[in-house]
Amino acid sequence: MSKTIMIVDDSATMVLSLKSTLEMNGFKVETAGDGAQALAKLKAGVRPDLIITDINMPNMGGLELIKNVRALLGFRFTPILTLTTESQAEKRDEGKKLGATGWLVKPVPGPDLIKVIKQVLPGA
Amino acid sequence: MSIEFKRNLAVFREVVSVEEAEGLLEWLQKKPTAKVDLGACVHLHPANLQVLMAAKPVIQTWPTDAQLRVWLESALVAH
Amino acid sequence: MNPLLEQFLSEARDFLQGIGEKLMQLENAPDDAALMGELFRLVHTLKGNSGLFDFPEMTRVLHAGEDLMDAVRNGRVAYSRLLADCLLDAMDFVGMLCNEIEANGAMGVTHAGTSVRLVESLRQLMERDAAGPRHADTIETAEAETASGATEHPSASFRADLPLAVIPEAARMDAYRHAGAGHLLHWIAYTPSEQCFYQGEDPFFLARQTPELRWGCIEARDPWPPLAEMDAYCCLLDFCLLTAAPRAELEEHYRYVMDQVEIAPLPRLALVLPQGDSNGGPVYDDFATDARHLLATGDLVGLARNAGTMLELSNPDLWIASALRWLRLMLEIEPENRAALAVLVESLSRLAAPDWASIQIGTTGSAEHSEITRPSQPDDGQFVATASESRPMEPINQGQAMANGPASAEADALAAIVATQREILALTDDPAWLPGRIKAAAAALAGCLRVSVAPDALPGLETGLDAATTLALADNSGAALLAWLDGQFSPSLDLSDAEGAAADGSVNAEETTATMARESTTQAPLAPTPPPEGDGEIKFGRRAEDAIAGPKSLKVDQAKIDRLMNLIGEMVVAKNALPYLAGRAEAVFGVRELSRDIKGHYAVINRIAEEMQDAIMQVRMMPVSFVFQRFPRLVRDISRKLGKEVNLVLEGEETEADKNIIEALGDPLMHIVRNSLDHGIELPEVRRVAGKPAAGTLTLRAAQESDRVVIVIQDDGKGIDPDAIKRKAYAKGLIDEATLERIGDQEAVNLVFAAGFSTAEQVSDLSGRGVGMDVVRTAVDKVNGTLALTSERGRGTHLSLSLPLSMAVTNVMIVVSDGQRFGIPMDSVVETVRVPRAAIRTIKHSLATVLRGRIVPLKSINGLLGLDVAPKANADDELAVLVVRLGNEAVGLLVDDFRETLDIILKPMTGVLAGIPAYAGSALMGDGSVLMVLNVKEIL
Repeated sequence: MSKTIMIVDDSATMVLSLKSTLEMNGFKVETAGDGAQALAKLKAGVRPDLIITDINMPNMGGLELIKNVRALLGFRFTPILTLTTESQAEKRDEGKKLGATGWLVKPVPGPDLIKVIKQVLPGA
Repeated sequence: MSIEFKRNLAVFREVVSVEEAEGLLEWLQKKPTAKVDLGACVHLHPANLQVLMAAKPVIQTWPTDAQLRVWLESALVAH
Repeated sequence: MNPLLEQFLSEARDFLQGIGEKLMQLENAPDDAALMGELFRLVHTLKGNSGLFDFPEMTRVLHAGEDLMDAVRNGRVAYSRLLADCLLDAMDFVGMLCNEIEANGAMGVTHAGTSVRLVESLRQLMERDAAGPRHADTIETAEAETASGATEHPSASFRADLPLAVIPEAARMDAYRHAGAGHLLHWIAYTPSEQCFYQGEDPFFLARQTPELRWGCIEARDPWPPLAEMDAYCCLLDFCLLTAAPRAELEEHYRYVMDQVEIAPLPRLALVLPQGDSNGGPVYDDFATDARHLLATGDLVGLARNAGTMLELSNPDLWIASALRWLRLMLEIEPENRAALAVLVESLSRLAAPDWASIQIGTTGSAEHSEITRPSQPDDGQFVATASESRPMEPINQGQAMANGPASAEADALAAIVATQREILALTDDPAWLPGRIKAAAAALAGCLRVSVAPDALPGLETGLDAATTLALADNSGAALLAWLDGQFSPSLDLSDAEGAAADGSVNAEETTATMARESTTQAPLAPTPPPEGDGEIKFGRRAEDAIAGPKSLKVDQAKIDRLMNLIGEMVVAKNALPYLAGRAEAVFGVRELSRDIKGHYAVINRIAEEMQDAIMQVRMMPVSFVFQRFPRLVRDISRKLGKEVNLVLEGEETEADKNIIEALGDPLMHIVRNSLDHGIELPEVRRVAGKPAAGTLTLRAAQESDRVVIVIQDDGKGIDPDAIKRKAYAKGLIDEATLERIGDQEAVNLVFAAGFSTAEQVSDLSGRGVGMDVVRTAVDKVNGTLALTSERGRGTHLSLSLPLSMAVTNVMIVVSDGQRFGIPMDSVVETVRVPRAAIRTIKHSLATVLRGRIVPLKSINGLLGLDVAPKANADDELAVLVVRLGNEAVGLLVDDFRETLDIILKPMTGVLAGIPAYAGSALMGDGSVLMVLNVKEIL
């Protein structure tokens, strides 16, 4: 069964870039433009096996999203990766403290993305 | 569900996720003589593994996946 | 163009627009943190996106912009107009690159200079403000971190008692063999945090995937609680792993949990650990004596043979058998390492674990380290207990490798390996296996290079090593390799000076890390200080909705809308065939009932088609803000250039009109605004003298009035001087003397729209580019707009543009002339009359008639179109006259006959026909024929 990955980013370009890489590798992809949309989708029954979220977004940023996701019963253990830039080391750590599994550094080359996903998602 | 609970046997299949650990723990609490079949299991989340380590059920079948078997033996076979 | 690039460009424009807007807003509210955060986010995201492509110039500039914004956001640099200028320049540059990429699919090669210049100016802004102690602090902190990074995992945190004995002998032998081929072994202790499952982690999965994993085991951290009290989600597992992967690869693999992992280099000899039953076995005391002798004389073949014989005689479960197996393996892997072989032989003779510390196995640790013995604490975890069961002899000293921090220990190990190779190569005997020995040394050195040298320097060094190896093999002597070695490593590195060597090595290693860290510091000098979370106070929902197929809006390519509109147009046309069909059903086939049915259905289809038309019109509607939004920047730039102060007021930006209209509005508006700034609004001192506020006000106001959108551009400048206009017009020959006397002020003011008129005394580079307001008139005319200009001297100018809301559907009247049908836009039609031939006069070769007391000039449409046919009169000898409006005048067009009026979708002329101005376009008729629609203004 193919795994579902949710991408949360306010940049449509970033979403498209990640989405096409993931779909080419056989993942199902759900997208959301900010934390609030992502949370709404999760509450509406979307069940991703992994969430990849940007940090800086309008409405609800990535860190707040992580906090909220971890409070949802069905998502206590879902792997979450943050999308950061090389200068955001503090955000990565903060994300980890709030319950993120790890981070990706933008831009994420396709093979790296898949490698990391295979690392955090058994059975992917 | 990647764990199938039969009368006195829990059958693990493919990847057993973290969510299953709670159910496994409850089941093993009720069935002290239960056995476990890991034959078709390729990976299990360590939450499940530590439940098995603590409950020490009889492993009826070890995983066919040789690498996993070595790992699990290191954890589940009493030193 | 690939969809991702397309998406990037489209989104980049939004971002650039947004960045410009935010910067404008910040000028008025420089302390607005939310606004600043939003601005940072836009630059940051745009930079991130640009990184997806190979546009280094763009990314570089955006990166500098991002850093600067970050500094401003965190209060390290003050916001200033200069800063806004620099950023705007940078964004203009990025916008230009986007255009170029869109046009050519790639970026030109000539932008490196500009990008460097922009980056410099952005960085300068940052340095000037952030210079001084704070900047120095950053660097110092970074260096301090680097220094501590080099010695992370202090020795105290690592357990000196590695439970190596629990590793099955086969696994240890496998790892040992692997290490013999030049790989460094590492021991990993992975202690996941208790809460790690709640971070989506699967430590077991991570451990299983450890690169180059040779062996691993899982153990419980504490004795298990009673099952009833167990929390399945509190992780109480520890992982021990043995791997042959380089440290960097392991750090990469465990990067998310570095704080829970200890990685220590493991000398391969530490794995040589005989185990088994120490009681029993063949009594062969002479074996040790013989072995020592064979070793001393270099008869390794003999030693291996003896060991083999002895092994055959021993029960494989015995400790002695295990030791013999190791002896054979060592003879195979490192026969040159006499010292190590001797230790193992000693161990055999004493039936005691080999004392590797006595020969400083691979680590050359200092004396104090080698003193460390394993603190054997039975309740120190299960491993200790397990280990001591299978280990018959006294504890082994292997602390020194682990006692040092791994980084320096690694450097020590490297130095030791190099020293050992040097020693081996320096041996002067000439055994049969010399080529093998040289190869082994070369392999070991290659391994050292791989782990110690920067990847980019590696190929060169490897080539050198290869050449030296080839030479050495040809000479059958280690001299060539030794020479190479002396060239690469300081010759002081040898066993007798091991401590100094180790120090050298570690210093080098630290220097390398420090340099690397410094490089990364310059790349990202502004990492710290958490940015305020981009809270959603400022509504930027549009972009969020673009990103996914959100519930509210959809971003659709213009071409798709155009296609839909064309299809709907065709639908409208196709449906027009139905009444024609109904007519035929009745007239030709005489089935009136069918005819009525067709007409009934026509009514339904007609209604739907009209609604579709309306719907597509709605889709094409855009807010005027699309055009207005560029003015804040424009007004700011121009007014500052001119030294004027201007407040720009925008009103009614939400007013909507068809996309084509909105787009057609852009250039005229730009021109009008420039004119206003250039000629209308006065310099502050002039205004003060005139008793006006120093800052002028320019208002752009949009509003919908019935089916038209009205745009008003108003300023409180000096107004237009009618006398000056008149004189100028006269001087330019636009009006004659009589007109000069006659015309009123209002008429005079309208002369600015005459072609070739420009009042500016000096042609500035702003508005007066050799064209006057006539371009505005032309552009407005093109979309069937009108404009009205009023002005009051000293008080200001008021210009109002009235444009149709939509121009997609054109209502035309069909006329027939010379057997052909033509469409005339109803906009320009005043009336249709039939004029008796007798009522037509000829005035100076021109035809005219009198209609309701006004003389109306008449033109034959055939004549205008170059058809040499006279207009046809009807039975009553009346001529059909279509009266059209031309500016303020009415003109009669002589045609053969009038037909119905129709709503059509006007398609502009394309291809070679596009150059024929006589036609406004064409439309498809219900019967499949093409209707040409005349451009009345052009043909007259």
